[in-house]
Amino acid sequence: MNRISFLAGAAFGFLVAAARLNDYNVIHDMLLLREPDVFLMMASAIGVAAPTLAYMNRKHWRTLDGELNLRRQPVSRKNITGAAVFGAGWAVAGSCPVPALAMTVGGSVLGLFVMAGLFTGIVLRDAVEARSIQPLLRRFRASSETEAAGVQG
Amino acid sequence: MHILPDRVPWYIVGPLMGLTVVAFFAIANKPMGATTAYAETFQFAARRKVKEFWRVWLFVGMAAGALLVSVLRGGPSLTMSYGLLGTLVPVGLLIPILFGAGLAMGFGARWSGGCTSGHGIRGMSALSPASIAATMTFMAVAVSFTFFLHIVTGGSL
Repeated sequence: MNRISFLAGAAFGFLVAAARLNDYNVIHDMLLLREPDVFLMMASAIGVAAPTLAYMNRKHWRTLDGELNLRRQPVSRKNITGAAVFGAGWAVAGSCPVPALAMTVGGSVLGLFVMAGLFTGIVLRDAVEARSIQPLLRRFRASSETEAAGVQG
Repeated sequence: MHILPDRVPWYIVGPLMGLTVVAFFAIANKPMGATTAYAETFQFAARRKVKEFWRVWLFVGMAAGALLVSVLRGGPSLTMSYGLLGTLVPVGLLIPILFGAGLAMGFGARWSGGCTSGHGIRGMSALSPASIAATMTFMAVAVSFTFFLHIVTGGSL
C-alpha cells in the first residue's frame, strides 16, 4: 500500500508541477478569470475520472482493499464554512497544499512559509475539533454510566 | 537542460490527473487528498501516532514527483521570488501574509474535509455532494476575494 501511495503521489505531484500550478501567477490569472486553462484541466480530470468511477462502482469493482468505496458524503455546514476560509487563503497565497509543496521542493523559500502556515492551520483545526468534541464525549460517557448504573440497580 | 516544456497543456495534464485518481481508487481503494496527507506527515514528524501511514507516503510521493519536474527543468534552484505578489509586497511583509494565508488554507481545508485535490478533483470525481458543495464554495470565495484584492490594489494585483 505504501508503494502504491508513493507512486500515486509522485504522479500527482509531477502533474501539478508540470502544469505550473505551483506558480503564483498561473493561479492568480485563473482566479481573475483571465485564462481558462486550470479550470479546463480540472474539468477534464473530472470528465475522465467521474464516469469511469461511476461505472466501476456500478460493477462493484474489487480493489486490493475490498470493494470500491467512493466515500460519497452528504453536505454538512462544515464543508461550506471550512471551504470559505480555505478559498480566502487560496486567493491570497495563489497556492494550495500540493502546489505549495511543489513550489517548495522547486526551491521557493517563500513556499516554505505557506507550508508552515498549512501545517499550523491543520494542527490548530484538529485542536479545536478535539476541544469541541471533548464535552460531548464526557456527556455521552456520563449518560452511559448513569444508564449502566440504572440497569445494574 | 530543459527536458519538459515550460508548461504542459491542460488537455494532457487534466486527463492524466483524472486517470491517477481512478487508478488509486481502483487499486488501493483510497482517496487522493493532500490535507490529510499533510496532517499525517505532521504526526509522523512529531513522532506521534500515525493512523494511516500510506498518507505519509502519498505526501513523500507528491514531493518526489514535483522534484522530478524541477530537475527536468534544470533545477531546483533557490529563489525568493513569488510571482506578481512578490514584486508588489516587500519580503518582510510577504512572509507573515503567506504564513497567514497558509494557516487559513490549512484550517479551512481540515474543517471542510478537503482542499482542491481532496474535494476539487477526488471528491468531484466521486460525485460526492459534500465535495461538490465545498468546491463551489471555495471557487466562489477565491474568485470573489481575488477580484476584491484586484480592485483595492487599483488593479496592481
